[in-house]
Amino acid sequence: MAEVSLTNVKKQYDNGFVAVHDFNLEIKNEEFIVLVGPSGCGKSTTLRMIAGLEDITDGEIAIDGTVVNDMEPKDRDIAMVFQNYALYPHMSVYENIAFGLRLRKVPNKEIHQKVLEAAEILGITELLGRKPKQLSGGQRQRVAIGRAIVRIPKVFLMDEPLSNLDAKLRNQMRAEIILLRQKIRTTFVYVTHDQTEAMTLGDRIVIMKDGYVMQVGTPQELFNHPANLFVAGFIGTPQMNFFDAVLKKSGEGYKAAVGDYEVNVPKYICDELDKLEQVPENVQLGVRPENLIIDPLGEKGIRASIKVTEMMGSELHIHAEYWDGKPIILKVQIADLTDEEQNRLISKESVAFTFRERTINLFRNDDGRNLAVPGAVPVPKTEKFVPEEKSKKNKKDNKKK
Amino acid sequence: MSANADTKKKFRSKSRKERTTRILIYIFLTLLCLIWLIPFFYLVFQAFRGESRSMVTYVFPKEWSLENFRILFKETNFLNWYFNTLIVALFNAVLQTVIVLSVAYALSRMRFKGRKLLMNLMLILGMFPGFLSMIATYFILKLIGLTSENAIPGLILVYAASSGMGYYIAKGFFDTIPKSLDEAARIDGATRSRVFFRIIMPMSKPIIIYTIMMAFIAPWGDFMYASLITFGHEEAYNVAVGLYKWLDKEHINSYFTVFCAGGLFVSVPVTALFMALQRYYVEGVTGGAVKG
Repeated sequence: MAEVSLTNVKKQYDNGFVAVHDFNLEIKNEEFIVLVGPSGCGKSTTLRMIAGLEDITDGEIAIDGTVVNDMEPKDRDIAMVFQNYALYPHMSVYENIAFGLRLRKVPNKEIHQKVLEAAEILGITELLGRKPKQLSGGQRQRVAIGRAIVRIPKVFLMDEPLSNLDAKLRNQMRAEIILLRQKIRTTFVYVTHDQTEAMTLGDRIVIMKDGYVMQVGTPQELFNHPANLFVAGFIGTPQMNFFDAVLKKSGEGYKAAVGDYEVNVPKYICDELDKLEQVPENVQLGVRPENLIIDPLGEKGIRASIKVTEMMGSELHIHAEYWDGKPIILKVQIADLTDEEQNRLISKESVAFTFRERTINLFRNDDGRNLAVPGAVPVPKTEKFVPEEKSKKNKKDNKKK
Repeated sequence: MSANADTKKKFRSKSRKERTTRILIYIFLTLLCLIWLIPFFYLVFQAFRGESRSMVTYVFPKEWSLENFRILFKETNFLNWYFNTLIVALFNAVLQTVIVLSVAYALSRMRFKGRKLLMNLMLILGMFPGFLSMIATYFILKLIGLTSENAIPGLILVYAASSGMGYYIAKGFFDTIPKSLDEAARIDGATRSRVFFRIIMPMSKPIIIYTIMMAFIAPWGDFMYASLITFGHEEAYNVAVGLYKWLDKEHINSYFTVFCAGGLFVSVPVTALFMALQRYYVEGVTGGAVKG
């Protein structure tokens, strides 16, 4: 149980590549924080810096108020679960779990008791005598978790622990992690690239891109009020739809026009727009697929031609195309449709839809920031990294020329 | 029906062709084995020859005898040389294994300035034949009094001193062990040396065995350095230098069969070592460590 604070943390590798830029986060005691983002966004590097497995180029990391920048991993009182389990292959499950306690010279009797307790929590008591190679993927991951929880660390770090499991096992283990969290109240930092894991597990989620923090917030905040176009597109499956819209003042409030169709901008967004020096005219209007109100007869609202329909069981995903060729995804509950309407949609005719007005988000066209989220971070432009040595060489070559 | 028969014929002709190829391969391999074994059997026959101790033009002895072994152990310094060689080889097996594995692990896991330069430098230096530095090495050893009668510690020093340069095979092995195991152990509370001895070493049996064998065999059969550093001091000879002396003009006619008997004994420890350790040599123990 501990608070973790990261202040202006930066990680730059020897070749000049900056993996993490100016990372700031206060993790509360017993909080479950999820770092999420696409590959190469710096989430694992951040976790490894907390663990002490990577040096920090700049900034400060503190656990329970103690700065741990130069502290060895073993002295930080943390535990970590790795994506590839990292079990000691020559030791039995029992010895794998007991290893950390043995190094800390805990009496044998106590070790025995703690290993049994951890095994009990994870349901692996009958596996204690086996070697890792005799276990299945799910069992190995449980042992890896057992090895971490047996010490009751201050901070529990998990680096994509479910990525190597198949879909069914992943769902099961996800539920087990939620249960585990209820049993051992400690601070969790969890890294994943799977937004479903992030949404279901995290008290707060940190979304990263190219080493920058895009947004920190609760799953609801991120889902309902994404700070920028990247967050909006990353969170939610299927992803949010974006439309080119024109903002117009209309009486006290604003209207956003998508083609001929106009939508009233919700009041909380209008209030934020009023605070701006200059309200942008052209914006991106974002609506989640489930918030597009569909007219199965294809008459009311914005029209689009259906390209593909996916029957997901209880709901239907419709992949359509707007008149300008932009893809749109709509989600509709099967129970809300008559057989005739269903057949019409599945036979790939056109569809019409309107917006659930209170759920719309407006983003700047230039930097992708959400107009209604104060302090939103712009979406960084991904640049191709050229290692320092090479870039120096290039400069020299250019000079010669 | 006819199509079926055709298919059968096709398969049969294929399997017949395969069998013929296999038979040819085995004949070739057997021939290779025989060629390889001829010198060994020649050595055995000469060692047990009783009728004359000089070189002869035939292979099979006319009279079988153990006389050569009696002379070897009772009338020559062979046991002394054997003991010298064993001491040097055993010490080197231990020292070189520790040094090679430590250097290889450090180069595999640690990132420090000049690491690549160091690795390249060692690789390039290793390409120069060892005898280029022999004279310099001899004078250095002479200065510190480790030649002639003190040649044994001198030889141990020479072999062990350059052993770190043979890091690359062990480094290649360590590179295949996932780094996350080291990291997991460090988080569990292990220091770097603990990680090395308690996690990495138990998983590295094949490379440990390989390094021990190489470290044992190199000084066991070394002639050049041993003959230079012992510098005619017979008490300090190793088996290679000692036995070679029996092949010069004045000894060959009275010691050739004894030389062969000595040769047989020289092969014993290396063979025994290989037989004892070969099962570890082939087995890997990383199963189940990480997602595979």
